[in-house]
Amino acid sequence: MDFGFSSEQKMLRNSFKEFFNKECTPDLVRELWDDPRGYSEKIWKKMAKLGWLGLIYDEQYGGSECGFLDLFILFEEMGKSQLPSPLFTSAVLSGLIIDACGNEAQKRSYLKPMISGRSILTLALLNNGGEQDFHSPEIEATIDEKGEHRLNGVRWLVPYANAADAILVCADAIGSESGPTLYCIETKTDGVTCTPLNTLYGENKCVVHFNNVKVTADQIIGDIGNGNYCVEKILPQAVVLKCAEMIGGARHVLDSTVAYVKERHQFGRPLGALQAVQHLCADMNTLYIGARLVAYQAASRIDLHMPADKEVAIAKAWCSDAYKQMTWIAQQLFGGIGFTEEYHLQLYFKHAKECELLFGDSSHHRAKLADAMGL
Amino acid sequence: MKLSFTKEQDEFRNEVRQFIRDNLLNNNFKIQSKGLIADCDINFSKAMSAKAWIGFTWPKSHWGQGRSYVEKTILNEELYKVQAPIGYHFLADRQVGPSLIHFGSSWQREYFLPRIANAEEGVLFCLLFSEPDAGSDLAGIATTARKEGDYYIINGQKVWSSEAHLADYGWLLAKTNFDEGVSPHHACSEFILDMHLPGVKVRPLINIAGEHSFNEVFMDNVRVHKDYLVGQENGGFKQIMAQVDYERAGIERLMQNYPVYDQLIDYMKIKQLQNKRPETYEWAKDQICQLEVEFQTGRLLCYYTAWMIDQGQKPTSQAALCKVFCTQYEQRLNDVAMRILGPKSMIRNSGPGAPLDVDVASCYLWQPSYTLQGGSVEILKNIVALRGLKLPRY
Repeated sequence: MDFGFSSEQKMLRNSFKEFFNKECTPDLVRELWDDPRGYSEKIWKKMAKLGWLGLIYDEQYGGSECGFLDLFILFEEMGKSQLPSPLFTSAVLSGLIIDACGNEAQKRSYLKPMISGRSILTLALLNNGGEQDFHSPEIEATIDEKGEHRLNGVRWLVPYANAADAILVCADAIGSESGPTLYCIETKTDGVTCTPLNTLYGENKCVVHFNNVKVTADQIIGDIGNGNYCVEKILPQAVVLKCAEMIGGARHVLDSTVAYVKERHQFGRPLGALQAVQHLCADMNTLYIGARLVAYQAASRIDLHMPADKEVAIAKAWCSDAYKQMTWIAQQLFGGIGFTEEYHLQLYFKHAKECELLFGDSSHHRAKLADAMGL
Repeated sequence: MKLSFTKEQDEFRNEVRQFIRDNLLNNNFKIQSKGLIADCDINFSKAMSAKAWIGFTWPKSHWGQGRSYVEKTILNEELYKVQAPIGYHFLADRQVGPSLIHFGSSWQREYFLPRIANAEEGVLFCLLFSEPDAGSDLAGIATTARKEGDYYIINGQKVWSSEAHLADYGWLLAKTNFDEGVSPHHACSEFILDMHLPGVKVRPLINIAGEHSFNEVFMDNVRVHKDYLVGQENGGFKQIMAQVDYERAGIERLMQNYPVYDQLIDYMKIKQLQNKRPETYEWAKDQICQLEVEFQTGRLLCYYTAWMIDQGQKPTSQAALCKVFCTQYEQRLNDVAMRILGPKSMIRNSGPGAPLDVDVASCYLWQPSYTLQGGSVEILKNIVALRGLKLPRY
């Protein structure tokens, strides 16, 4: 049981911290939320040059072959800074899928350029019901009069789709009795439309319509009917990295709230001297430390290639509730000023709700935990 | 951040489990869930002592084993799963020993430490801190210890003293400085009180679970030799504060009702509920999984606190935070368990028709004490805020 970090990990964390502190201000975040593509090309290229897009991938694709914990630390620091970028959808969701299930040609065509910063990938996960699509993709690949395969359907809340070069999507394909098939479709293909949505948390998310989109066999990732396997395989890592983002954001919420209540005076003394305020801060601290520990527990097991189903469920369940509750307490302690768009707290308040709802909230993961416990 | 156990730690855990099988489970030991201080069984304590498991974290120079707090947490976790009867040596091992090691005189250490480590007769300790007018405000105690020659004359009354009716000795906090204007924090001293001295009277208090666990202790002109003063005269409060973190830090705060949790899960697995009322089963499953999430979080908090101590860090805020979390979890556990088990969970003492072997109704009745004993949740949150987050005082 070692709760410490190696000196390499500490150095890595410092370099991430310095970069985000320098490059990402709260003003920039708001600018990017208003920007149609939603991210800064300049910062993206810098991150690519630093090797961060390929942190855990093989050197032959331009990756840095670092450990899973290193990537976790990157997302923790990014969550603190709230930098909008396609990193999660491109380097994690899409990259991990192609790395795990793509053939050599696909890794060269998609993984390598993604790591170099030349292209952006995204995963279109949520079906018409807003559900993580596993058994009913509600997108069909059919055969048209010319004998070509055509895709029809819609996908919701696809991150950075209008900036992406290719979209990974599961569809029910012909000839697949065993389940959906995963396709990698270039966004410039005829029939693909990506329209940005106005959502609670301003990071770029689109609705993607597939209208008679032509697909060919070489666009299939993995095998026909094996789409679920490809996505399910990487989800635990993705969920844990989302938790990393969440604990990063939570840490900022804790620190900025504590700093605020020391500064803000009412009734002739700092707010932080009032016991009710002190107890709320203690509650935030407790939620935070618990979240950090369970998130690192899952990450540590994944890093060591140990089974982690139970730990991943516990992490997402706890972090989903804890981060959100912390933002509620923070809103209360900041008072009116925290309720303004101008102030930074709203970034985290929104972030916490989005992270809760994506990839399963606490009740979803309790159900997964029940399975792992044999209940 | 390697949050898994080493091979040696796993082996140690297995060793403890085997010990429990050999000394308890194979001897028809009944697993119950009661107060924080489990039943007293000097023979079990002696068996633990034979394994050198009392004084586990004490320095080797002082009749201890010098082992880590993480290992101690492993030991305690396994013992608490079955509520092993460690009551005889519990307080002496956890608090008296470390206090004597830090502040005791040579003869006190030479007399008490080996006897505690060896689970000898005659060294069952209770604590004599709280008074009717001094609970959270410990410095407000009124028990006096007035010096007369080589003796201190003790007068006063203590309350909530667990196991005082069984104890050989009491660890006492009393006022020794009566000057005007002296802060109460510099006016108290710690003593070892022989509970059989003339003038010491113990009166049982029955708690709402109907159990006799704690007591009132009256001291009427009790003569205590000055050799039984521990550490500095008037330094008692400081000495207590130095040790209180270790009292708060243990995994026992998470595991007091573990048998309830364990048996509840077995109950669910038998899926009686599922066959009769499926929608209730789904709800119950969700409730249990929330408990599991909280339990696993609490478990990590306990091991993290232990690791901090092993690193030589002061665990004050973390230990307080950990105790807040764990004791609140335990309260929820009993509440949820009774709701899942339904009205028959109210049947006491595992009588006919009681759904679990363990008396879950009794556990529910014990639970108001969890967030009060050893530092109320409110006081602990003050500590987290003031010491941990460095928020200002009022």
